[in-house]
Amino acid sequence: MTLQLILLIGFCGAIITYFAGKILPVLREIFAVAISLLLVGMIVYAYGRYSQEIAQFGFLNFKIVFTLNRLSWLFAIIISSLSALSIIFSLSYMKGKERQDFFYMMMLFVSTSMLGIVFSGTFLQLFIFWEIMSWSTFLLISYSKGKAVKAGLKYITMSIIGSMAMLVAVISLYLKFGTLEISVISQNIDIASLRYLSCIFGLLFLGFGVKAAVVPLHTWLPDAHSEAPSPFSAILSGILIKMGIYGFILMMYMVVGIKIFMTLGVGWMKFHYVFAWLGVISILIPSFIAILQNDAKRLLAWSSVGQIGYIIVGISMGTGLGFLGGTFHIFSHAVFKGLLFLTIASVEYRTRTRDLDQLGGLIKKMPITFLGGLIGVMGLIGIPLTNGFISKWLIYKSLFESNRMFLLLFSLIGTWAAILYGYKILHNVFLGQLPEKYRNMKREPVFMQIPIIILSLTVILSGIFPGIILKLINNIAFSFGLESLNVNMWGVVSETGTLNIRNIFFGILAAIALVSIIFYSAKRSWKVSQDDNYAAGAFVPVEKYNYTVEFYAPLYKMIRKYLKDVIDIFYCWIAGLVDALCNGIRKIYTGDIGTYVGYILFFLAFLIIIYLRG
Amino acid sequence: MVSTVWQNPVLLIVVPLGLAFFTPIIGLIRKELVKYIPILGMLFNLTLSLFLLPKVLDNPIIVSLSGWKPPFAINLFVGPVGILFSILISLVGLLTAIYGINYIKKGAVEKYHMLFLLLLTGATGIVLTGDIFNLFVFFEILCISSYALVAYNQDKNGIEAATKYLIQGSLGSAFILLGIGFLYGLFGTLNMADIARNITTVDSPALFIAMALFITGFGVEAAIFPLNAWLPDAHSSAPSTISAILSGIAIHIGIYAIFRVLYTLFGFNSIFTVLAVIGIVTLLIGEMSAFRQENIKRVLAYSSMGQMGLIIFALSIGTVDGISGGLFQIITHTLSKSLLFLCVGYMVYSTNSMELSSLNGLGKRMPLISLLFTIGVFSLIGLPPFIGFPSKLSIILAGLKTGETLFLILIVLMLLATVIEGVYFFRIIQILYFKEPDKEERFKTPFTLLFPVIILGLLIVAIGIYPGLLQEILDRSAEIFWDKLSYIKIVFGG
Repeated sequence: MTLQLILLIGFCGAIITYFAGKILPVLREIFAVAISLLLVGMIVYAYGRYSQEIAQFGFLNFKIVFTLNRLSWLFAIIISSLSALSIIFSLSYMKGKERQDFFYMMMLFVSTSMLGIVFSGTFLQLFIFWEIMSWSTFLLISYSKGKAVKAGLKYITMSIIGSMAMLVAVISLYLKFGTLEISVISQNIDIASLRYLSCIFGLLFLGFGVKAAVVPLHTWLPDAHSEAPSPFSAILSGILIKMGIYGFILMMYMVVGIKIFMTLGVGWMKFHYVFAWLGVISILIPSFIAILQNDAKRLLAWSSVGQIGYIIVGISMGTGLGFLGGTFHIFSHAVFKGLLFLTIASVEYRTRTRDLDQLGGLIKKMPITFLGGLIGVMGLIGIPLTNGFISKWLIYKSLFESNRMFLLLFSLIGTWAAILYGYKILHNVFLGQLPEKYRNMKREPVFMQIPIIILSLTVILSGIFPGIILKLINNIAFSFGLESLNVNMWGVVSETGTLNIRNIFFGILAAIALVSIIFYSAKRSWKVSQDDNYAAGAFVPVEKYNYTVEFYAPLYKMIRKYLKDVIDIFYCWIAGLVDALCNGIRKIYTGDIGTYVGYILFFLAFLIIIYLRG
Repeated sequence: MVSTVWQNPVLLIVVPLGLAFFTPIIGLIRKELVKYIPILGMLFNLTLSLFLLPKVLDNPIIVSLSGWKPPFAINLFVGPVGILFSILISLVGLLTAIYGINYIKKGAVEKYHMLFLLLLTGATGIVLTGDIFNLFVFFEILCISSYALVAYNQDKNGIEAATKYLIQGSLGSAFILLGIGFLYGLFGTLNMADIARNITTVDSPALFIAMALFITGFGVEAAIFPLNAWLPDAHSSAPSTISAILSGIAIHIGIYAIFRVLYTLFGFNSIFTVLAVIGIVTLLIGEMSAFRQENIKRVLAYSSMGQMGLIIFALSIGTVDGISGGLFQIITHTLSKSLLFLCVGYMVYSTNSMELSSLNGLGKRMPLISLLFTIGVFSLIGLPPFIGFPSKLSIILAGLKTGETLFLILIVLMLLATVIEGVYFFRIIQILYFKEPDKEERFKTPFTLLFPVIILGLLIVAIGIYPGLLQEILDRSAEIFWDKLSYIKIVFGG
């Protein structure tokens, strides 16, 4: 009953929240936060109580089963806690905006439908919740109007195409196995031929891939993530795109099983190779495109495409280490990307802009946001003592062990790009010159501080004690038949190189101590006004110079012309064609009654000719 | 078989017909009373149909008129399909009549209500009768009243659309009559069961020509491509209550007629493949034509056309699953499309324009109507948790179950059409909610307008969440609809 209860509370809570807002705005906010926290509580409570519930009601002739296993618990806890934090964040962010009842309702709706996806024990439910998630996401993406409307339409178009492919796959599975229950299908997977499974994978790749934003299905993401309301962008980038990954893991490891998966493919082209390479392409090109962006959220959006690439590379290795790294990166990316989106949101909230050319120097005005941004970027780049380091280390390691040197090389180049754009966002927003207009800016409100602090602490703590989550993932890997690794609180012990955060931790501690001792004992710094030594003594008005404009200018010039989103252009071209075609088809109906009568006679003649022909 | 007079299925036809004739007389006495007559009639029909439903699920009822046994007299075949349709007709009729209380104010009000009742009588007659000529008569009642109702607004568009509809419709009727003539010439009987019993004894090209004539003739009303050119004009120029009835009921009746004739009389198999292809073509053309429309009622009209294609496809799959899916889709489309037309009726009434751009930001100005409109749209696209999802799912399931490559291709095309449908409908949702309104002030919706729409919305959500409600009825209906032998057996009391 628990799982159904969780979903029931989520969906009903969403609707109650809406009507509560009609009575009293405060009531709505209390409800939204209470329900999202309640969901977190119930999922924490469900830890370890892995079970399967068969629902009392069916859907047509299909059975409805809810399951909770380690994998779905991991996803559920990430979903519910990040949603709760985003909703708390929204309390300040959404203040004064219109249609808040709708906003909170949809936030709860999206997160509950994602919970529904991970609790699904049959593919039918998976599809149903998937669709509910798709349309509620669409409504939230379009929320900001203006450019968001176009972004929303782009998202939903790709999303429908994906779900249609998925629907065909799901029904075909039903016809093949006579059931849609995931556990039953995985037991009987042997009766399906490899060719059949390859077809199913192709279809599901479309379905899951659109959500996961794997290149070449990523084109909706930069628009949607940058135009959505910022707290929701955190959910979008943090977890919604991971639902696609959840689908991949489900199919690869749970349903088909990794042994069979490694043999799937069309001819010599094995899926896991294709997957790994698509992952690497997703790392490489979008990471460089991210450097070019001047809209902070767009930059983060492109970065999300890149980070999804790491996860895909990790899980497509098919080894315990790769799975560990990929799945850990799901967690770390959710945390640090959620954190980064929230910091940008709080900057946007105070400055009303997210244009990287206009911001700067906010470190003094918003210290907590700065710390959040710093830690987020550190996680993104993968600096030791953050969770991003753990996942990237594991992924690189697994590439190294599987002897995939090209993949490793390209991933490393991608990380280099990540350092560049990570530093860009940090510098252009928080460092450098504070523009005159922000002199009297207030600090970030407390409801923004809480989620930022919690997420920052999570990045650091899970970077220092990765074992807590690694152990869980290791158990998941073991249940999928992968080799079990020796995981302890501080990392992973292995023969080819042990990850031990304890040593790193103390090493870094020592280094920091050393640097501070030198720094403070020297004590030779003095403070000057910013305007003092600039422009060689000539007076330059303060607002005239700005470090942040055209950051990395030489690099831009070098790479800009190679980095068009060709795929997006191609899709838009196809959309244009379809549009023109539809406009042409419309002209069949000329409005002339003579033609119409002609059509009728023609149709009759057509039927008779068919008969005469055979 | 029929225990009391009040349970006689004939009343489903007689009561509204009688009321329709009394309407002008009552109008002479008191004009305000007229608008309550259709409500009364439909309420009666709905109650009786719901009452009959559990009975006919086990055994269809045969009612012989004028005391003679079939095949010598006109008989009614009251099976689950007929009652299912009758429920839909009376439900939508009732809700539309309630909607009409405040909506239809100017013009010839008595005539409107009389024609409205006649239209519904015709529709009920078609689905219940067991006699092909009788079917034709009811069909004409349906068509003629809809021609007149399309022109009800008495503006240029309405009259032009009605004339075009009339010309194409009469051509169709002429074909049907011709087809009946062929059959009568061959078999000397008009009773469908009787013809069905003897059809294997005759092998003549005339038989096929008769079938082609029926498909073409009924096809005009059923909006098969390319016979559907009247539809966008007629559905968009009629008053919205009539659009709701036309899109929600009339065209489904056309489809019912085609498939009743095909399943029961001919039972040919090769024609179904052709019809399946034609269905998908109709679907694609309808959705693609809707894609670039800027007039909201035309968008809905073209979408109806597309949905007809989908239903024809489902019914032509030629398995019980397919028919069950097709019937399910008919329910979906009836509920969703009448909901949409009724919502749009109020939007158009308030903004005085049918342009999509005039809907900008209506979500704020009439929140409830917009919400219900959204529900209808989501249901038509086939999104869970609305009724359109299980119906579309069962059609795809039935199609793929055949395992034929042709059906696989057709289903892929159908899914492509769904994508197109989704895009233009989602665009309208964005217009409703995510564009700036030109004015801020809210509209107040009268309760009589709101009530029918809310009921439809609730039904859509309720069946969408728990489609098991309909499962048994649909499967049983599909079996009986499809099975020619049992039809003959039931009529002649085998």
